[in-house]
Amino acid sequence: MNQWIDACAPDDIDEEDLIAWEHAGRKYAIYNTEKGFFASDLMCTHEEQSLEDGLVIDCVIECPLHGGRFDVCTGKALSAPVLVDLKTYPVKVESGRVFVQVEG
Amino acid sequence: MPDYVPTNAASSGVRLDKKTLKSIATRTDRPGLIWLAQWTLGLVATGTLVWAALGTVWVWPAMLLHGTLLTVPAYAASHETAHGTAFRSRWLNEAVLWVSSFIFIEEPLHRRYSHTNHHTHTWHVGEDSQMPYNIPLRFAEWFAATTGIIPLIYHVKVLYVLATRNFSDMILKFTPEPELPKMTRNARIMIALYVLIAVLPLAGIWWPVWFIILPRVLGTPVMILLVLIQHAELQENSPSILESTRSFTTNRVMAFLYMNMNNHVEHHLYPQVPFHALPKLAEAVKDQVPEPDHGFVRTCAELGLVVLRRSLGRSTKAPTIRQAPRMITDGGPIHSIAQKTM
Repeated sequence: MNQWIDACAPDDIDEEDLIAWEHAGRKYAIYNTEKGFFASDLMCTHEEQSLEDGLVIDCVIECPLHGGRFDVCTGKALSAPVLVDLKTYPVKVESGRVFVQVEG
Repeated sequence: MPDYVPTNAASSGVRLDKKTLKSIATRTDRPGLIWLAQWTLGLVATGTLVWAALGTVWVWPAMLLHGTLLTVPAYAASHETAHGTAFRSRWLNEAVLWVSSFIFIEEPLHRRYSHTNHHTHTWHVGEDSQMPYNIPLRFAEWFAATTGIIPLIYHVKVLYVLATRNFSDMILKFTPEPELPKMTRNARIMIALYVLIAVLPLAGIWWPVWFIILPRVLGTPVMILLVLIQHAELQENSPSILESTRSFTTNRVMAFLYMNMNNHVEHHLYPQVPFHALPKLAEAVKDQVPEPDHGFVRTCAELGLVVLRRSLGRSTKAPTIRQAPRMITDGGPIHSIAQKTM
């Protein structure tokens, strides 16, 4: 069953940036973009590389190792070398906190 | 989980706080556009020199100058845009990737994927698809590469392999399967364009010979010298970029032509940093990385001397450039360490 988990405060993430967040042994990326907050798996789908040091440009996260790009809103893989979409998770901001809906 | 560790800052024990890295890696179009404009103006200037020298013996030095200005930046731009870091606008990045890779004679997706592999497995024997010579490097191979013969054969071979779908094991290893048909299509388009350029003189059109083909050939040696010193004489199979890769100091002209890639250690540590910010990155990590070797000409000359001495059975200690301990011998027979992958 999916559940909403309190992940962080909105101010914990700079604009056009992301943080790494771990819950129940799983690693997530939470993004602060011009379109709002989003969440996805932390690891790139191309190779075993954390996106934590990646660049957020508009609503795109760029992997720091090879420059593969994903749309952070949908997880869609946008350009080589990434071809497999990134898994995304619903996010909401309530009572001054960012919540991520994770699979329970 | 993969059974390897990607070679980068983390595997090299180099740390940079995230805010600093983010500020350095910020992507904009402006520096890339300025560089592109300067390159274009430079080509117009040296092209004018070639035009003015046509019919005289001065056409050869003019073509050498024009060729160096054509070839080295094309190689550098192809590399930078394969990373996707030259511009913030993706379409601009991809357009320059295509044009520069065409001049460089490498199919753009092959350029990107083989280089992706090079960053994951930097200087790892049998894994790094961009090892352009056998290790240790010998004089005959150094000379043949520097003339441009070996790289030309490699580039033609790769285009043929892609166009005929006769993929090598290495290509199949580093390329996702859905991308292979695109690479074949692109290679065929590129071959058709090269053939078109080659037959233009038959129709009495000679300008591509003077302004593109011969300059591209004449400009190759400087480009290859830059490629050779990136990892030569350094440690293979090391997780640390600090041991496998070389940076060197250089003047502003060479830094411009090479898009600051003389900061090669820093580039491998943080490949997401765009070319224009590499000097800033080098400053930020200078206390964590080896001192760069001194000057392009001096580094090339010392490497040439080392490989000549190795081939003559003499000691291989270079005067100043960095070398992995196992590359320094007192002479005698050469023991092969690794086969090239290009």
